[in-house]
Order: sequence, then structure tokens, then C-alpha cells
Amino acid sequence: MGQIILGVGDFGASNIPEDTIKTFALGSCVSVIFLDPKTRCVGMAHIALPDSTINKAKAAEKPGYFADTAIPALLAQMAELGCDKRGKGIIVKLCGGANVMDTNDTFQIGKRNALSIKKILWSYGMGAIAEDLGGNYSRTVSISVAAGQVILSSPGKPNWQL
Amino acid sequence: MVHKINPAELQKTVSSVPMISASASRLLQITSQPDHEVMDVVNLVKTDANLTARVLKVVNSAAYGLVNQISSVDRAVSYLGQQVIVSIAIESCAGELFAKELSGYEAVGGDLWKHDLRAAIAAREVVIQSGADLSPDLAFTAGLLHDIGKALISDYLRGSAPEAVALINSHDSLDYLAAEEHLVGVDHTIAGEALAKAWQLPPELTAVIRHHHQPSQAEEAWRPLVYAVHLGDSIAMMGGFGTGSDSMRYKLDPHYADFIQINANILANVMLVVDTEFNKLSEGLSDTGEKS
Ligand SMILES: [Fe+2]
Ligand SMILES: [Fe+2]
Repeated sequence: MGQIILGVGDFGASNIPEDTIKTFALGSCVSVIFLDPKTRCVGMAHIALPDSTINKAKAAEKPGYFADTAIPALLAQMAELGCDKRGKGIIVKLCGGANVMDTNDTFQIGKRNALSIKKILWSYGMGAIAEDLGGNYSRTVSISVAAGQVILSSPGKPNWQL
Repeated sequence: MVHKINPAELQKTVSSVPMISASASRLLQITSQPDHEVMDVVNLVKTDANLTARVLKVVNSAAYGLVNQISSVDRAVSYLGQQVIVSIAIESCAGELFAKELSGYEAVGGDLWKHDLRAAIAAREVVIQSGADLSPDLAFTAGLLHDIGKALISDYLRGSAPEAVALINSHDSLDYLAAEEHLVGVDHTIAGEALAKAWQLPPELTAVIRHHHQPSQAEEAWRPLVYAVHLGDSIAMMGGFGTGSDSMRYKLDPHYADFIQINANILANVMLVVDTEFNKLSEGLSDTGEKS
């Protein structure tokens, strides 16, 4: 029907071809994108932090916020649309996870987010076929359900596709 | 096309910006003093009818969900906290500057205010959660003002974002500050400092505006504060609230560790609190109906 805009810690899925799922300005956050060729369903999560153990209450209220709670939550939502519960057959794309320049270990949240997401995906036997991670710039990402095309944009750069 | 800003142009741009109100100016002076009392803030708010009205409007807005309306300034100030009072005062006299569309950075109107507010909350939270020996309220105020220079040079930078990005990508050592300097001759910290002087801001706030990307160059006395805002600024960008093409394209100075003890866990907690506090504060401020 239109645009599904995801804020920090949100996740969403759709099988309506006219829909677009979009999230703005990923800094150190990572967007996980799921595409299911069988059901023509597309899902996305905008993940802010790698690990929910730092705040269980927040994780209960907003599971999309943390890598370890976002992926099961997104899979569950997509299962309601007919996708496999364990993500079988789902195509995964990852983007975001930027860092400021000359970052030290402490401030590499972008990198920790990406690592944590990959570990969790791996536990489902899933892996990303395409990724655009890291770097020192913010990314806006959108995907149209019909085309399954991931478009990235960043101020000062031409748009690109993932 | 971009061209170098000469000193006369910079001065002209600075003087085209309205002065901050007398009460905002005094509020910044008062809250910069480490030993000031809440009553000093209360008394100042009471001298300004306009500010009083806005403070009461914010505290009674839906964002704070009070069952009983607050009608006294004393209670409103203690309930909201000084950082909210400072935000209201700055926004009501310099809101237009902060709401400016930063076309030179390909950012929309309002992005600067949001970035500054996020940086302010983050700087304050960094101080609180790290236990640094600094006033959290001062860190907030400094964070709120740190990037005012962008509003001054943005028009001169119009159309230059792709060139700035290409320049940084082809030179490992360059950050966006260097790109600004290269493109228009004046970076946003120098422009900001000129405005800070015109506004007669306290020296510690001027130091933050001037040195927040190179904290080690700040005068020793202000260095811990400048580092706190340096981190708050990075956290704002990491959380997705930059001001367009320059977002994330600044260097982290790891020497913050000399003043601020922060580990990955504390940082994650700070980021969580920043999200929550930002939503609450921006909801409260926009509820006054005078800002979009
Ligand atoms: Fe800056
Ligand atoms: Fe900034």
C-alpha cells in the first residue's frame, strides 16, 4: 500500500508488492534484510546494539533493538506470512554498521553489531549473500517488495544497489 | 560554485544572525558556573515572561503526562531539570538558526537541532555514566551549541557535498573538517567560534564550539568538557542523527580516555538512554506548538 518506515529498533515485513520498506540514516546500526523468493515476502530490522543482556526490559519492549532478539522476532513475523520458521530458503542482505574515522575498539559498535548478527544468522544456518558494511558514512536503505531491489543512499554519494 | 569565505564575509554572516536573548545569555552564564544553585535558574526564568510561559507549557505537555498541572516555575524547573530549561531558552531565541536547512551538507531543516540535541543528551549521559568529574548540565549545554557553525557556512558549501566526500575518500588523513577548510576556507568550528564571540558565550562553551573535533587543542582547563562533547557528537552520529554528508566523517580522538572512563557496556547503555531521552525531550519541546 505504501511506505513502511522503520525507526531505530523497529522491524517489519510485507508481502504486498506495492509496499516499500525503508529506514533512514543507519550510523553504527545495521539493517538486516530478508527476502523469501517462495512467498515473495520481504522483511527488515533496524538493529542498534549487538546484545540484549544489557537491558532485558528494553528487549522485551522493542526486540528489534538488539541483534539477538531482532532476528528471531523478524523470522516470527515472516512466518506469519508463510515463510519458513527457521528461515529456510530466505535470502539475507546486510548493510550499515559504519564507524567514525580512527575509531578505537570501544566505539566500534558498528562492527560488533555486524559480528553479532552474523553469529545469530549462522545459528539458523543462514548467511548473507550480499553486504555493504562498515565505512565512515551513514546509509539510508529501502527495498520494494515487488522488485526485491535494495537501494542505498548517502548524502554526497550517488545511490547504489545491493 | 563554492568559493573561499573571506574574513569580511564571515563577519557579515555572523552579524546577520540575531543575538540570543538577554535571558538565554544569562542562563548560559549561570549554568556554566560549577557552583550555581537551582534557585539562580528559577529566578532568571521568572524575570522573563515569555520563557516562563514556555517552560510551563512544556512541563504540562502530554509528553510528561502529569496528572496535576504545574503552575509554579520552581516546581517546573526542578521537575524538568536544567537541561530542558536551557533547550527551551535556546530554541525560543535561536530556533530559526538551528532549524535552518543545511543544504551544503544535503541535510533537511531540523537535522541540526536534532543532531545537537542528541549530542547534548549523549554528552550529559557520558559524564553521568562514566562518573567523570564534570557538570552533566554543562556538558548538555555545550553539546547543544557545539555545531552552530554549520548553519553559518552551509550556504557557502551548497553543491559541494560530492566533492567533499570524494576528497575524503581519496585522502586517508582528511576528515570533513579538512574538507570544509579546503572548499570554503573556513571550517564549521571556526565559524562557530566567531558566532560564539558575537554572542559573548562563556569561554568553556566557546572552547567546545572551537575544538570539539580536536579536543587535545583546547585549553587544559576545558579539555575534559570538550572531550565529553567530542564523544557525545560521535554517539549522536552513530545513532543515526548526523547532519547529512559529514555524518561519521570525523576522527575519534582516543585520548578521551585520559579524562573519561567508558567501556563498550557503558557506551551501549548511553546509546539506549539517549534514544529514550531524546524522544521524550523532543516530544515535550514540540508540544509547545511553536516549532514544527
Ligand atoms: Fe562538529
Ligand atoms: Fe556534531
